[in-house]
Amino acid sequence: MKFQIEDVTVYFPYDNIYPEQYSYMVELKRALDAKGHCLLEMPTGTGKTIALLSLITSYALSKPSNPVKLLYCTRTVHEMEKTLAELRFLHNYQVKHLGPSARILALGLSSRKNLCVNPRVVSAENRDSVDAACRKLTASWVRALAVENPNIPTCEFFENYEKAASDAVLPPGVYTLQDLRAFGKEKGWCPYFLARHMVQFANVVVYSYQYLLDPKVAGIISKEMQRESVVVFDEAHNIDNVCIEALSVSVRMQTLEGATRNLNRMNQEIERLVQYFKGRLQTENVEKEGPVTFVASINAQVGIDQKMLRFCYDRLHSLMLTLEITDTGQFLHIQTICDLATLVGTYTRGFSIIIEPFDERMPHIPDPVLQLCCHDASLAIKPVFERFQSVVITSGTLSPIDLYPRLLNFNPVVSRSFTMSLTRDCICPMVLTRGSDQLPVSTKYDLRSDPGVEKNYGKLLLEMVSVVPDGIVCFFVSYSYMDGIVNSWHESGILKEIMQHKLVFIETQDVVETTLALDNYRRACDCGRGAVFSRGKVAEGIDFDRHYGRLVIMFGVPFQYTLSRILLARLEYLRETFQIKEGDFLTFDALRQAAQCVGRVIRSKADYGMMIFADKRFVSLCTVTIVLLGNSTIK
Amino acid sequence: MSRKESNDEEMQFNREEEEDDEDENGRGLDAWERTYADERSWESLQEDESGLLRPIDNKTLYHAQYRRRLRTSSAARIQKGLIRYLYIVIDLSRAAGEMDYKPSRMVVVARQAEAFIREFFDQNPLSQIGLVTLKDGVAHCLTDLGGSPESHIKALMGKLTSSGDASLQNGLDLVHSLLNQIPTYGHREVLILYSALSTCDPGDIMETIQKCKASKIRCSVIGLSAELYICKYLCQETGGSYYVALDESHLKELVFEHAPPPPAIAEFAIANLIRMGFPQRAAEGVISICSCHKEAKVGGGYTCPRCKARICELPTECQICGLTLVSSPHLARSYHHLFPITPFDDVSPSVSSDPRYLPKNCFGCQQSLLNPGNMPASCVSCPKCKQYFCLDCDIYIHESLHNCPGCESFRHSKTGKRGHGVLLKAEEKVHYEAREPQSNLEMEKRSRDLRKGESPQEIDLQDTINKEIKMNHLDEGKYQVALRRDSTPKNKPEFIAH
Repeated sequence: MKFQIEDVTVYFPYDNIYPEQYSYMVELKRALDAKGHCLLEMPTGTGKTIALLSLITSYALSKPSNPVKLLYCTRTVHEMEKTLAELRFLHNYQVKHLGPSARILALGLSSRKNLCVNPRVVSAENRDSVDAACRKLTASWVRALAVENPNIPTCEFFENYEKAASDAVLPPGVYTLQDLRAFGKEKGWCPYFLARHMVQFANVVVYSYQYLLDPKVAGIISKEMQRESVVVFDEAHNIDNVCIEALSVSVRMQTLEGATRNLNRMNQEIERLVQYFKGRLQTENVEKEGPVTFVASINAQVGIDQKMLRFCYDRLHSLMLTLEITDTGQFLHIQTICDLATLVGTYTRGFSIIIEPFDERMPHIPDPVLQLCCHDASLAIKPVFERFQSVVITSGTLSPIDLYPRLLNFNPVVSRSFTMSLTRDCICPMVLTRGSDQLPVSTKYDLRSDPGVEKNYGKLLLEMVSVVPDGIVCFFVSYSYMDGIVNSWHESGILKEIMQHKLVFIETQDVVETTLALDNYRRACDCGRGAVFSRGKVAEGIDFDRHYGRLVIMFGVPFQYTLSRILLARLEYLRETFQIKEGDFLTFDALRQAAQCVGRVIRSKADYGMMIFADKRFVSLCTVTIVLLGNSTIK
Repeated sequence: MSRKESNDEEMQFNREEEEDDEDENGRGLDAWERTYADERSWESLQEDESGLLRPIDNKTLYHAQYRRRLRTSSAARIQKGLIRYLYIVIDLSRAAGEMDYKPSRMVVVARQAEAFIREFFDQNPLSQIGLVTLKDGVAHCLTDLGGSPESHIKALMGKLTSSGDASLQNGLDLVHSLLNQIPTYGHREVLILYSALSTCDPGDIMETIQKCKASKIRCSVIGLSAELYICKYLCQETGGSYYVALDESHLKELVFEHAPPPPAIAEFAIANLIRMGFPQRAAEGVISICSCHKEAKVGGGYTCPRCKARICELPTECQICGLTLVSSPHLARSYHHLFPITPFDDVSPSVSSDPRYLPKNCFGCQQSLLNPGNMPASCVSCPKCKQYFCLDCDIYIHESLHNCPGCESFRHSKTGKRGHGVLLKAEEKVHYEAREPQSNLEMEKRSRDLRKGESPQEIDLQDTINKEIKMNHLDEGKYQVALRRDSTPKNKPEFIAH
């Protein structure tokens, strides 16, 4: 359908539009007009992505003299492909109605691992080794050598791409990663380098958060993007954590040993730094200090000053180029050290250094770790806000929406939250405070290991499996808690009774095992046997939509581990700098986790499901929960 | 379906409360307790606008439901599969013992199945039913395909115990092997009454579903607990329907929806001739051995016209020569499915409030159409003959009579007996002679179509319809509409689907 929003004609590829999609577009348009940043919340399953894409592309089409460029950031490769598929659908629609003038170039950009077509390179197991294998074939000095000595292997795709030089362009269209690979294979050009080159000319680029937020990567990929770009962070409810992770480094004994090995080949002054870290890691006590004192102490003990630290990363980089080192995968350790040094040298605020001699859970096994923790999410995202005219942060759950501008330290021109218009009750959220014996249930520390609570939780699940069809998903607050409770259910025989109704699958920390369990869980739901999937980590990324999740139970409130030193340091920083109370932040964090968990079961309006929050503490958090789940009522 | 679930939840809670009561007072319930536990008398009350409680007007409610069903089902003149081979699969697993339906799911299911079997044979005299039960993870064939309602009901009522898990795959496999033997002109159907929330299968159920799909078995499921993905998938793949019952009356409604014959499967819809025998009833007092039970019987029974074997009941297939045996009344009784009466129109309040246009009495039963106090009650009118009927007659005409008294009496009057009945008084005022030429053309086309191969009886019927159309168009402006509606399905002649 085609309609006007103020002066822009919006091309929307579907015949119907939800009211919330329309108002979402209107708000987005205002933010673009004002050339400012915005924060938009709209529940999942309402077609957020297509609303966003169709408005921004239509906006660009309406201003042919100065078209805006769209940088769309997703969290996973899977989401990237989904977004591009929707964009292609939209693009076909626009071309059909506007003719060839509406043609745009849109592509996804990912790591070599996802884009490489050279069979020798792509067979490597992880991302870093693919990168290293690629560099071994394509580094300039390798190629220079290869000219003289034809026995040195090079990558034919890259050579072809280089030969084609300026002719190597992508014709307009929408390219998913798969399309890029197919195109590369057909032409014999390296899709990775082609995509990296074409990113500068594309109208729409879809890539992951890191390309904008991680300063190391952003410097290479995103520095040439023009200011008239619209940056979109989709599913951005965790953006503060991504920002923090981008600037945090932790150093373990293995890292240092690796770094020493690296140094044996390089034998440079960084050695002193490594030695210093080694000394610090010998410590018996937990230590915590700010970057300023840390730098001062480095300066005093080994004589490296702040300036030297700051340029550590660049110097390492140029050093590696000079030494013609191609197997970068081997040099990760020393890179980690240099990252740390650079960060310590650059920032004086918002960081702390925490050295823990052993893991809290296993105090007898020494496992020293030196962590440089970033507390301030705004540091990483600041350059993005400064460089681009509009940044759109959007997700299904951003409530309370006023907290994000404070965490990320920016001023949105539009900050709106939309509720889903439902034609029927497709969700049924409930809070359970007491078990069947009227005793309160909670995962609060003092109640957690109470056998009565464990029994009540078991009874709850048992009653539910006998009346809920197909799939049930259970979320526990941690792996250790899940292990404990499943063990006690096993001993008391509850697990056996549950198994009479449905199969039980338990997630472990092993990725392969979990994938296998998940696969079998899906099969059990498909063929009508019914199954329960227990997740220990309150995590997102896996959808349990339709019959894969007719019921989700949250056992306990997923608060973060409050005794963690990193968290404590961050809370302290937040209180001092942004005046955010510890309690507020913890509650906010726990509820956004909970909302994400239960939100996994409803991915579209045609879906339905039930949600049970089994903890007495949810009652006091109820008002917030209601907001999180839209306007549906809590019974 | 979510409504179903929430309702289900409610039921769970209600049940818990009830169980508590029972624990305190022992198993026997006093009368006052029964009001709460079983009869739920408060549910039949509603609040009117002034806040007073009064009983729900069941009659209009029921009628509205019925009309809705009629409108959706009677997409007039589609080819129907009249010779049906239906297996009813009844789930007697542990879940069937649940007591959310009173007194228990399986009793309710058995009760509805019984009513359904009778209704089914009433509507489909040419068809056969078999019963399969699911219990302890295996499927068990309770009765083979047969045309006698009593034997099925007797077998079903004797077997009401529940245990173990249900296996949908075993049930489908069994039904598939049984239905594969029947001749291709018959419609293969399965109706599964499923209480369980899961299925414990020995192998890959997807393969079984594909197998059923390949053999054109139409699987329908009626659930008693909640929507199951696998059932939905099964029905989608095989072209059946899937519903979940909310309560007993809803269950009844859902089960009975399967009684009228379904539309024919397109691939089988080519009309071809099949050989059928019309056996004669044997004389009383003759002793002979019947071929179906291998027993000597005195009197009754039928004789196959081809091989002279003795059989007990119709319709069936001769055990000896394999001839399909039916009786002609059965054929005749199936006939009305092919020419359903069009649903009657609701008379709009504006028309019905104007006393000049409205006859005071129902054309069918001659009862007054006015409520006490001369307030006009809701009534309906036949779109063809424009007669008014009361709601009771509406249901009676469509469900039992299958003929519209208004149209019929007009047809008689048209073929010579003018001045018959009340009808003509109204119709004679219209000079339909004057409009005759306009529809001559249409008439000719019709008869050409018809001569292509329809029975004389049908031409007669079509004739009537034609005449009725002529009458219709006399109402200003309706001519075009009426004509189009009736002429579209003319492209293909309807027939019994074999």
